[in-house]
Formats: sequence, structure tokens, C-alpha cells
Amino acid sequence: MLFNVLIFSLSVFSEELKTDSLHRKNLGEVIVNGQQLQISRASMPLQIISGSELDKLNASNVSDIAKYFSGVTVKDYGGIGGMKTVSLRGMGAQYTGVSYDGMIMSDIQSGQIDLGRFSLGSISGIELSNGQPNDIFQTARAFSSGGLLNLSSILPDNNENQNITGKISFITGSFGLINPNLFLGKNFGRKLYMNISTDALTANGKYKFTQYYGSKDNISEVLTRTNCDIQSIRTEMNIHYNLHDKENISLKINYFGSERGLPDGITFYNSYNTERLWDRNLLSQIHYENKVSQKFQYQLFGKYNSAYNKYNDTDPKYTNGLLNEEYIQKEYYLSSCFLLHPLEPLFLSASADWWYNDLNIVSNSTFENFAYPTRNTGLINFASKYVNDKLTLSGNLLYTLTRERVQSGMASPDRDKLSPTLSLSYKLLDDKDLRIRAFYKNIYRLPTFNDLYYQDLGNHNLRPEDANQFNVGFTYLETGIPFLSNFLVSVDGYYNRVKDKIIAVPKDLFHWTMTNKGIVDIIGVDINIKTGIHLAKSEHINILGNYSYNKSTDITPLSANYGEQIPYTPFYSGSGSISYQHKSWEAGYNILYSGLRWSGQNITANKIDAYMIHSVFVTGIYKQYSLKAELINLLNTQYEVVKFYPMPGLNFRITLSMKI
Amino acid sequence: MKTNKIFSYFSLTLLAVSILTSCDPKDTTVEVPTISTGAYVLNQGSYKANNASMTYYNLTTSTSTQDVFTAANNRGLGDTGQDIIKYGSKLYIAVYKSSLVEVVDAKTSISLKSIPMVTGTTPSSPRSLAAANGKVYVTLYDGHVAQIDTTTYAIEKTIAIGSNPEGCAIVNNKLYVANSGGMALKSDSTISVINLSTFTEELPRIKVVINPVVLKADSYGDIYVISIGNYYNIPYTFQRINTSTKVVTAIPEVKAYNMAIDGDNAYIYYYNYDANYNIIDKTYTIYDVKNEKILKSNFIATDALANVPYSIDVNPATKDIYIGETDYTNTGKMYCFGSDGTLKFTFPTGSNPVKTIFITNK
Repeated sequence: MLFNVLIFSLSVFSEELKTDSLHRKNLGEVIVNGQQLQISRASMPLQIISGSELDKLNASNVSDIAKYFSGVTVKDYGGIGGMKTVSLRGMGAQYTGVSYDGMIMSDIQSGQIDLGRFSLGSISGIELSNGQPNDIFQTARAFSSGGLLNLSSILPDNNENQNITGKISFITGSFGLINPNLFLGKNFGRKLYMNISTDALTANGKYKFTQYYGSKDNISEVLTRTNCDIQSIRTEMNIHYNLHDKENISLKINYFGSERGLPDGITFYNSYNTERLWDRNLLSQIHYENKVSQKFQYQLFGKYNSAYNKYNDTDPKYTNGLLNEEYIQKEYYLSSCFLLHPLEPLFLSASADWWYNDLNIVSNSTFENFAYPTRNTGLINFASKYVNDKLTLSGNLLYTLTRERVQSGMASPDRDKLSPTLSLSYKLLDDKDLRIRAFYKNIYRLPTFNDLYYQDLGNHNLRPEDANQFNVGFTYLETGIPFLSNFLVSVDGYYNRVKDKIIAVPKDLFHWTMTNKGIVDIIGVDINIKTGIHLAKSEHINILGNYSYNKSTDITPLSANYGEQIPYTPFYSGSGSISYQHKSWEAGYNILYSGLRWSGQNITANKIDAYMIHSVFVTGIYKQYSLKAELINLLNTQYEVVKFYPMPGLNFRITLSMKI
Repeated sequence: MKTNKIFSYFSLTLLAVSILTSCDPKDTTVEVPTISTGAYVLNQGSYKANNASMTYYNLTTSTSTQDVFTAANNRGLGDTGQDIIKYGSKLYIAVYKSSLVEVVDAKTSISLKSIPMVTGTTPSSPRSLAAANGKVYVTLYDGHVAQIDTTTYAIEKTIAIGSNPEGCAIVNNKLYVANSGGMALKSDSTISVINLSTFTEELPRIKVVINPVVLKADSYGDIYVISIGNYYNIPYTFQRINTSTKVVTAIPEVKAYNMAIDGDNAYIYYYNYDANYNIIDKTYTIYDVKNEKILKSNFIATDALANVPYSIDVNPATKDIYIGETDYTNTGKMYCFGSDGTLKFTFPTGSNPVKTIFITNK
């Protein structure tokens, strides 16, 4: 009864607000009316969580959503402010491209994008492509990673409504979390649309955990996680202007600033922990698109990104008791993409990208000779795609060049790479949507500036890491089962071989250096199921499930770890989500599972236990108000994703929203 | 009907997941060995991995036991075991990142006291140990040296010395400490001399090649110091300090990375890396500290250890030489060589075996 008053479906509101931006670039391709169809036809495995589906998971940021994709390992250092990165199918996190409305985000210093910084308040959908996106009308850079996680922001609804629309929400919960969000959008006439969004977040991040001083048979103590406070502000503005029916231009400006404690790994008997990180990141992107005709269209992208970070650690062992590192990195980026559609089943595309990165040190107590590296990167990609009802066949060839300069020391040699990709999808039966698919992709991951130039650790001679990816799978989409709205299943088997893996090796007691020594053999299986059940007209059940098997074997010759599973890669992992929606209220249950894995050498001491996390939510909507209440980690499971980084036990979150 | 089926699939999946979870094998606990005549190996573990440990090797039964500290105390030793000494019937262990000195009964491996080395809550990060006159001295990476009473375990006095002090040794009631400055932008290059009667530093400090780390005393009033240089143009340097004249003599003919001194012999190893980070120049030298000359250039074969040596210690009773081996990421191995250089036996250790000490059954 209480719920009937409070509860309402947030998704009703979201559906209105979030246009299906995921399909906005599908011009000319076979019209797909629904993401299920898009997923089932993908020749390279595609997973999408968008719109109302985002609200059915227990998630506070993008990385929490990524945990519900198969083949994904989210490295989560715990807490609200802890770093969260995504790696795919046993390959390092640097292979995962992260794009925001079609433009790849970058971090030239570490090569890793912290997904914790994206709030879900302005995201309309998240899609994960193994290999690369199936749409060939993309920047060349979208083809240049081992897989792509694309975040789509809320874009114009193109409706006639000239009023300000939007949402204001307030999120609070465990860890002293206070997170107000504001999103406002407005059409100015028929041509101009603008939105702004902002969110502020503060949390002390504190939580209790059980620390075993050794294995679980040993003495333990309940401790409180400290130095995990975070204060952050994120604000974004989008302007979309339709020059003509077929021509539009959009501008995005995004700013993210934060100060946070870096919760270090637990040290036995010593809880001193003072590492802090400050971030200031400005991102501006501009996009112009012209659908000249049915046979030809093109788009242009430009981006400027400036990222400042400051790291401090205070400890009397440092000179003057302080270790300070401050950096600014910048990126200037341009891209042009052309799509030709000469004959009905055939698409051809060409794209050329160029960008410039630099990394400057602002002040430091570490570097004697900082390299001040710069890199010019150029990419050219040619792609073709043949599509009919039964067969999709596509291939592309990516050319990459890098040119680096430094002010002190030696610069990395010029690199030139050719990376081919081939994929196909074939419908096996005439009357059933059962498709077989396969892809091959060769790709690299460029060394980061830390890999190349970090004092003592860096090695400017590093070659790009190289990966060959093979995938064979099938998809089956069934729309004809009574009661089931859709039934979609995909099963993919894959084999990846990573060569010249960039790993740190010891130079002496005190110094490690980066080398191209590792080889990793990866085989795995990803299974996804998505279905919905119509119980009655306004009663639905939604089910999402995935399961992954991954065997990533270190086969580096002469390595003492030859034949071992590489660190932080569970053999088995999976997730599931089931939600029940009835008129204006909805409730759901989510589960995350990660199997046994190791933090290093495969010995007992390095074992990280499997865990299973159960979470529930309930959402109600009343008029323009909605309330979502979540309980996360119901069984108060004590677990670690990264060794000695304890994760929170039972916690809660409440989201109160008002539609404007 | 359909609904039920879907639900049963779902619960089947859950069941499968639960089975997978319960498959993990259980950790096995280690028996605490009886300590008699044998060797304790302190395994440093990896920094921030909480895996410092102790291996015990029984010389009578030729058996090794891992994790004896954990077995005896039901808890791990902590993060980064830096140094171990035996003084009287007790072992003193400096645990760097956990910032404590662990006092352990040498016969039982049972912890008698954990002494937190902190200023308030700030760790002072213990590195090296020396003992004399009923006191244990510990160098602290925050630029201090502390005096601990071996009966009350009280930290009686702490004095400031150079930056990031490392190795230390006692000669004629004076404590010599290598100030490495290993954390500083410009390394230190001095040796502090502390008068143990007053526990005050005698100034000026002795100037050596930058970044002195390893410091050992012989029985002739000399101190031998290895400075590790600046990793660019100043290489590892082996040098001798005459403690009465405070004259420093470089010994360029000896390439040194780490050493142990027993009687008239300094046992020294060295290695380096080439541009492709392959191990080169691995050498094992015996230096005669009495006559101050090289006694033997390669007392064991260069390829006796596949990986790199991490520690060198001598059993004073048998003169056997114990060399710990590491690859820095995996568990290590201890090699025991006779004084003639022949390999006697090996045994497995924890990761980064940093020091071996010897117990005799009396």
C-alpha cells in the first residue's frame, strides 16, 4: 500500500526524454526498429543497456552498468571515489576504447579512462562492442581499440514542445553520499536545441570491512575504510542546431573537477593513508553532419581536451614530507568521415583522423629530467559493408602512424601499423532469426606516456602491444513466443592472442621498467540472454543474464608463470537482472558473480575469493515525482575485486527525482 | 507455463553459479616446526602485498617449512619484511610498510611484542637493525634512528639523522648508518656516526658516493659501504671507511650489489642489465677484508642462479654461503653453497628472500 503511493516507473519519464541516440547514425543501413534487432544482426558482438534498462540495475555510475555486460572485467578499487576501469576478454584495460557520443576519450598518460566519473544522470545508453562498432560510418579512431564502450548522452527530442523540460534529482545513501543532479533541455524554435546538466557529489566514502591478517583462517579485525572521501562537480552543455533537414551541427562542453582521497590498499597493522588526487578535466567536442543524399553523407569531428591532475602523498620519508606530482595533458583532435552507398546492399566508408597529445609537468618532487613528450597520431580507415536480409559482410583496413618528440632523453621511434578487420553475420534459417557470426580483428595498444617516459620506469623503445582477436558465435531472436515480448540469446566463443604485452620487469631492487615481454593466449565464451514477459497489459517482467568463461594463459617463454592464469581475470563470471513492472511501480533483483582469480603468481596467498553480490531496488512514480530505493550487497558479503582493496558491504541509495 | 520455465532456468543458473563458488579449494594450515639447528629466511614479499613471511630450514632433517610466523601467530608478518637480526634468544624483524618491529622468540617463532614504529599515526618506516648492550637500534626511513630496550621493548630515544637511512652496523660502540636519500630528488651521500653511550650523532657525517645503501662492518675497525649511485652516470660503488681515521677508499676493482662479511671474508655479488633488460655481469666475489684484496673472482659459477640473487648470508658455524634468488614476482629459492663454491642444497622460500639468519641448538 505504501509503495502504491510512492512508487511509479521512472522509465516512463526516461523514455520520453531519451531519444534512441544509438541509432542516429544508421542512415541507409537496414532500418532496425529496436535494439534487439540491432544486437541480433551484429556481426561483431554488441551489448546494449539503454533507456529504462539503466534504471533496472543497481548502478551509481557507468562502471556499475558495465558489470552487467558479458566478457567484461571491471577493476574496481572500491568505494565511491575509487578508480574503475573496464577490460574486455582478458585484454588489458588500455584495449577498451571509451567513446562519448561517438568521440573517443583519451588519457595519454595512463591510457585508462576512469569510468567512475561519468554520472548516469545525463547518459541515455551504454553499448559495448567487441572488436569495434558495427556501424562503419565512424571516426577512424573508433576502429582503433580492441573493443568499444560507447556512452550516449541525452540528445534532442526534436519535438514541438518549446518549454523547458528536464529533471532534478537528489541522490543520497551510505558513505555520506549527497549527489544532487539537474538536467534541463529546451527547444528554441525548430532548429535549435540546448541542454545543460550538472551534478555535484560529496561523500566521506567510509565503510566498515573485515580484514583478515592472512587467510580467512587467521586473525581478523573489523576496520573502517578511510581516506576515501570525494567531492566532485560535473557540468555539461550540449547545443544541437539543424542547419537544414539533412545538416546539423552539435557542440558539447563538459567539465569535471574533483578532489578525492585515494584509498590505498590495506597494509597490515598500519592504516596510515594520505594519498590524494585532484582532477580538472575540460572536454569540448564539435560535430557536423551532412546527409547530402541517399548515396553520400559525411561528418566532421573536432575535440579539445585538457586534463589536469595532481597527486599528493604526505609521509616524512619524502623530502619535506611531501610527494607531489602535477600534470597537464592536452589533446587536439580532428576527424572526417565519408559514407558512400553506391548500390543497395553496399556501403563504403573512409575516415581520416589526426590528433596531437602533449604531457607537461606542472610541479613535482619526483622527476629529475621530465621528457615533456608530444605525440602526433594519424589514422586512416577504409571500410566496406555488404548488407542484405541474410548476410552482412564487412571489412576494414586501418592505418596508424605515430610521431613523438621529447625535450629530454630519447623519443619513441616512429610507429606505423596496418590493422585489418573482417566480419560476417549470416541468417541460417528463412523463418527463424538465427544467425551465425564471426570476426577477425588485428589491433594494437599504443604505449602510454607513463609506459614510455615515466622516470626510471619508462622505456622509450616500447613497441605497441599487438592483439589478434577471433570470434565465432550465434544469435537467436524470437519475437513470436506468446507472453514473451522478445527472446534474444547470443553465444560467442573467442580466441585472442596478445603479443609484445607491455609488462613491468624489475631492473633492480628499487627500479622496474616497462618491456614488451609478455604473450597471453585467451580463450573464452560469452553468453547473453535478454527477454521480457508480458503478464498483463501493464505488467511486465524483464530478464537479463550473462555468463562468461575466460582462460587467459601466460605463455611468455621462460616465464616462471608460464601456463598460469593472468592476474585479475576470473575463469567464470556472470550477472543477472530480473525486474517486475506494474503500472507505476517497479521492483527488481540484480546479481553479480565473479569467480576465483589471482592477484599474481597462481599460489594460495595470491588467491582472491569468488563473490556473489545480490542487490534489490524498488521504484515508484507519482505525478512528476519518482523515488527509487536500492539495497546493494544484501548479504553484506565481504569481498575484494582488487587484492587488499575491500569493497563495501550492505549499503543503500535513495534517488528522489522530479520531472520538470 | 512459459513463465515458470524461464524462472526455473534462472534458478538453475543461480545454482550453477553457487556450485562454481564452492569449488575453491580450502587453504591448508602449516604446522609450526620445532626449531633447533637451522636457518630462518626472512622473505621480504612485495611492496603493498602484505606477504612478508618467514621460511624455516631444519639443517638436521633437511626440510623447509614456509610461513612459520603465520603458523605460530595465526596472522601474517605484514608488508615488506626489511631486516631480521637475532639478539640473545629473540629475533627482531623490521617490517617496513607495516611500520613495526616484530620481536619473536627464536625457538618458537611466537611473537613476543609488535612494536609500532610511528609518530602519532604517521609511520616512521623501519629499515635496518643492529644490536648492542641490551639495545636494538633501528634505522627509520623518515630520517631517524631509534633505540629500543630489549627487556621493556620501549622506544627509549629517537634521533634525527640523514634522509632515508638504510643499512647500519656497530663498530667500537658507534653505530654507522648509510643515509641513502633514496626517496629524495637528489640522493644523500653520507654516513651518520652515532655514539651509543650518549645516543647522539657525531658530526660531521662521513661523505661517500651518493646513495649508500648496504653497510657492513669487519672485525678490523673498517666499514664497507655499497653506494648504488644515481642509475645514470654514477654506478654502484664499493668503498671502505676506516672508522678511526674516517678516510673513505673506493675499491673500483670490486663490483658490488650486496654483501655479507664473515670473519676475514666479504662475500659479494653483483649483476646489471643491458639495454634489453637482460641480466649481465653477474659476478660473485670474495674480498679479503684483512689483506684488503680480492681473494676469489667467481667463487660460484655465474649461471649457478637462473634469476637474480636477492640476499647473501654466511652460516658462521659451517661457513656455508646462502644466496636467496628472486624474480621479484614469484616465490623465491634459497641456494646453499659450501665454502668451496659447490652447491650443497636448495630449498623454496617466500617471495624476495631478503636475509637468512642461523640458529644453533644449545
